[in-house]
Amino acid sequence: MAIITISRGSKSGGQEMAECLAAQLQYRIVGREIVQEAATRLDVSEEALSHQMEHTPKLWDRHAATRRLYVAAVQAALAEYVAEGDLVYHGLAGQLLLRGLPAVLRVRLIAPRERRVRTLVETRQMDEASAEEFIQHVDGARARWVKMMYGENIEDPALYDMVVNLETMSVPGACAALATVAKRPDFAVTGEVKACLRDFRLASNVKVALARARETRPHILDVWVRGGVVEISGSVPVLKTGRMGDRISEVARSVPGVEEVRMKLQWYDPYP
Amino acid sequence: MPIITISRGTLSGGQAVAECLAGRLGYPCVGREIVQEAARKLGVSEETLSGKFETPPGRWHRLTNERRLYLHAVQAALADQCVTGELVYHGLAGQLLLRGQPGVLRARLIAPLDMRVRALTEAHHRMSPKAAEEFIESVDEDRRRWVRLMYGADVEDPSLYDLTINLQSISTETACTSIAEAVAQPQYKITDEVRAKLEAFAAQCHEQLQAAASQRS
Repeated sequence: MAIITISRGSKSGGQEMAECLAAQLQYRIVGREIVQEAATRLDVSEEALSHQMEHTPKLWDRHAATRRLYVAAVQAALAEYVAEGDLVYHGLAGQLLLRGLPAVLRVRLIAPRERRVRTLVETRQMDEASAEEFIQHVDGARARWVKMMYGENIEDPALYDMVVNLETMSVPGACAALATVAKRPDFAVTGEVKACLRDFRLASNVKVALARARETRPHILDVWVRGGVVEISGSVPVLKTGRMGDRISEVARSVPGVEEVRMKLQWYDPYP
Repeated sequence: MPIITISRGTLSGGQAVAECLAGRLGYPCVGREIVQEAARKLGVSEETLSGKFETPPGRWHRLTNERRLYLHAVQAALADQCVTGELVYHGLAGQLLLRGQPGVLRARLIAPLDMRVRALTEAHHRMSPKAAEEFIESVDEDRRRWVRLMYGADVEDPSLYDLTINLQSISTETACTSIAEAVAQPQYKITDEVRAKLEAFAAQCHEQLQAAASQRS
């Protein structure tokens, strides 16, 4: 009873590991599908969404608010699965989308570069140089994205509970070890944990609503939920009517499941 | 029945994991004793050896012959323990001293700084959190420099290990169980071929030690 996230570089055996774990533990498995689901919910194309999700902006970023919305939508799609427990997620940035949640076993897989290149050469009939370049490109884009969105180094072992090196470990062997860990009480989905996961789902839905509504979308707002009570923090401009606070609260209240909204906003003068 | 090396920062809770593993597998658990053993064989005090072996030299000191001798002495002492193919080693740099040897599972244990600071202040009641933090950082920095100097590697690089475990949300017991599970894989099995390789490695270490000793005199 746990939620397992698998982070890895391209062609590091992530898919195979995710399938092995899901089969062994009888968990559901989800990967890129959540991007599709998020796109459907926002009524944009999957390409547009994954482009914004996975590409790093140039120095001057006009799309920051859009990207916040997309990431919030992906997080909400993932939260929907997570709320039920018993899940293997092998899509992008699980360890960060689910940061701070209990019962999440965050795994990173690493494999020697030569082996990853060989996999690509064999499966896609690529030549070695372009396989190398492809891997470098995909890894680089993911690392930059994580740096930008979360300020973290994707390779930092401290972001994960376990880092498995497939240089010597086999997928079935590592899978058995990880399954053992997932079954331990450290990662049990207790009643308390379940309540936490439901709160996380609600917080993710409120975030999407705030990132979507015209007046609230420019602001960077943090949402925290405890038992249906929503707490919103962040800094917003003081407007002449002071309506911004009301508007934020109204948007949050419109999300099904929200019982109460508390504001912890910091105000600043936009025309000093 | 393989060899397990456990690398860790100071006060990361690695020793407890090593002891748990050794108990469960029925293996000897060896850490600093390797340094004592090496010192005894060279006929120097443990302080002299660990002073040269463990602390990285200052900026202007080079890797001297003496330092090389001590490194070989420690490596030979460790290799001797490995020939049986049953060992949990939680001393310095096991993953590098045994680099390239078969039948070795290299684990690294990490823990968040605040957890390590708490462990230290609880063990030494008079220590302030700030002093504890400074102590941990200086020990970490020494090890990092040592590994860089000796092997040109970054001690925190996960590709040096088979398994890196973060003790932030994984308990000692769970870490121990998962390593025991991982080591049951066939590629860590000590076959006759592996045992022969480990014996050859021990012999080679002793040759290097003798060569280094003759250079000194």
